[in-house]
Amino acid sequence: MDNEEPLSKYILDSEKLEINNFNKKIKVAFLSSFTINGLSESLKVKCSKKQISCNQYVAGYNQYNQEILDKKSGLYSFSPDITFLILDTRSIFGDLFHFPYSVTKSERENFVNQKITEIINLIIKFNETSDSKLVITNLSLPHYSPHGIAETKTNYSFHDAIIDFNKKLKEKLLNINSAYVFDFFKFVTKHGENNVFNFQNYLFGDIKISLDYIPYLANEFMPYIISFLGLTKKCIVVDLDNTLWGGIVGEDGFDGIRLGPQPPGNAFVEFQKYLKALSQRGILLAINSKNNFDDAIQVIREHPFMILTESDFSCIKINWNNKASNMQEISKELNIGLDSFVFFDDDPINRELIRESMPEITTPELPHDPSFYSEVIQSLHDFSTFQITSEDTNRGQMYLEQKQRTESQNSTSDISEFLKKLNLEIEIKKTNSFTIPRISQLTLKTNQFNLTTKRYHEDQIKKFSEDKNILIGCAQIRDKFGDNGITGVFIVEKTNYDEWFLDTFLLSCRVMGREAEKAILYFIINEAKNNNIKRLKAKFIPTEKNKPIENFLPDCQFYKKDGIWIYNLDKPFNMPDFLTLSEE
Amino acid sequence: MSEKLFKIISKVMNVNYENITDESNPSTISSWTSFNGYVLLYELESNFNVKFSIDEAMDVKNVADIKRHLKNHGVNLND
Repeated sequence: MDNEEPLSKYILDSEKLEINNFNKKIKVAFLSSFTINGLSESLKVKCSKKQISCNQYVAGYNQYNQEILDKKSGLYSFSPDITFLILDTRSIFGDLFHFPYSVTKSERENFVNQKITEIINLIIKFNETSDSKLVITNLSLPHYSPHGIAETKTNYSFHDAIIDFNKKLKEKLLNINSAYVFDFFKFVTKHGENNVFNFQNYLFGDIKISLDYIPYLANEFMPYIISFLGLTKKCIVVDLDNTLWGGIVGEDGFDGIRLGPQPPGNAFVEFQKYLKALSQRGILLAINSKNNFDDAIQVIREHPFMILTESDFSCIKINWNNKASNMQEISKELNIGLDSFVFFDDDPINRELIRESMPEITTPELPHDPSFYSEVIQSLHDFSTFQITSEDTNRGQMYLEQKQRTESQNSTSDISEFLKKLNLEIEIKKTNSFTIPRISQLTLKTNQFNLTTKRYHEDQIKKFSEDKNILIGCAQIRDKFGDNGITGVFIVEKTNYDEWFLDTFLLSCRVMGREAEKAILYFIINEAKNNNIKRLKAKFIPTEKNKPIENFLPDCQFYKKDGIWIYNLDKPFNMPDFLTLSEE
Repeated sequence: MSEKLFKIISKVMNVNYENITDESNPSTISSWTSFNGYVLLYELESNFNVKFSIDEAMDVKNVADIKRHLKNHGVNLND
């Protein structure tokens, strides 16, 4: 497990921090039912290590009800991006924490229901007043019960009541957008109640998470910040020898490498299983290995104990090239930026090479002992997203199809011939409960083919979709190789009776270069014409990454006036004839 | 050994080493809040390998009190 610095170090470091130095900024509020001093400092320092400026609001001790109920509270005027509401079992259960059996079973049940209602009402109130995401902790389960070993023979016991509370909280929040449960129960399970809770800390200062563990908790809050800012990693690049299997295939041979049910080969099997599970939830895998291609690919294709198969990898670089140039090529082929990669390599020299030449890539230390490789994966918080969409779980398959497309493209010399053969279909979809999370996700993650790079969270997308003055939709793009899923988004502001404005126009990098964007624009232009609009206006906001869309507007016959791009709608707009456009 | 103690206080409270005396207390060191006071005791526990009781923790009003309790735990401060 990653060892943490003492809390005092974080407190000291946070005082020295000049927090507004970074481009990436987030506003975080903390509400709690007990003393959480040190948590905000730890989070601030951890953010700064990821080049994020974290502005904070820490509500007074046990003031969360007042802060949420009072529309003029400091919390709301701070207008946070993310609010953490940290509750604890003692405060929620009150007297029942010590005396759960002073009341009847049905009174315990009623108590839990009443507490859930109170908390849900608070959340609803909060959602009405704030656009912030709300992360609320569930309750930890104390090991102790006055019933001792008879606890498990007790109907709706004290412990059952806590578990029931957690279950109901989760169920209720499944239906509340922008409110999330942080699994504090699991946090305490991970570190152990006797470590996290210390009677002296508690009795001396109502500190219910002992000081040593505050930085660990801050660590587990980081994924929310990373996900909010769209900094989630998209791809894990692995080395092969001594990373996916033990030994060196070029020297030890197919039969000599260590991979299988016996130690130490089982450490690599275990590690591969963790990688496979991540790929199943949408993290891409790629190989960057110095090896003879034939030796290494034989292991991947034929070794009986390989968990990962060739098709699990979206990009394979097995050659004698420098690992840094391989990384560049992987980035280019998958069309994702270097800052979206995590690199696993057992060789410290390779790690150093990548760290120095490509600091944007996350290159974790790998321990000498492969038994601990899986633990390194578990401790990385860079893959989290607020929600898993169906596009996430199908991503590996989609990239595989992409590989076939590229191969097909290479075999066709003329790009327009290639595009014609692709049978591209673009289906425009309206917003609904399925498309809204994906639309938001695309605005948060898309960097390259993105006209304005405006980031919108789910609740904002939902508001847009209910606004009559906004035209919002997305595009599902299919071709003969398969379904790319929802990969385009547009948000158009209906400025006035004869003008519309393109607020957001983006395409996932996965479908770039096939002119699908022209079908989407064609749809928008037609909608505008049907509403007797005269001009469609747009803005291109350049960033470090959106060069691919730089010429899109002039290419589509927009002209520039006073920094704004304008398309006169009396002009006919031609969509390439190899595209098929439909509406849901 | 007093030097080690003062260094820890200086670090936790983020004040200059030279400004710390036996008489320093929460009213002379503004960062000496009740929480930082507790963090300080925590740091002293791990650095001097001692464990303070809640009575001792409550009894600390200034640096001299800390010295007294450390000595009671057998820590030799050499002054």
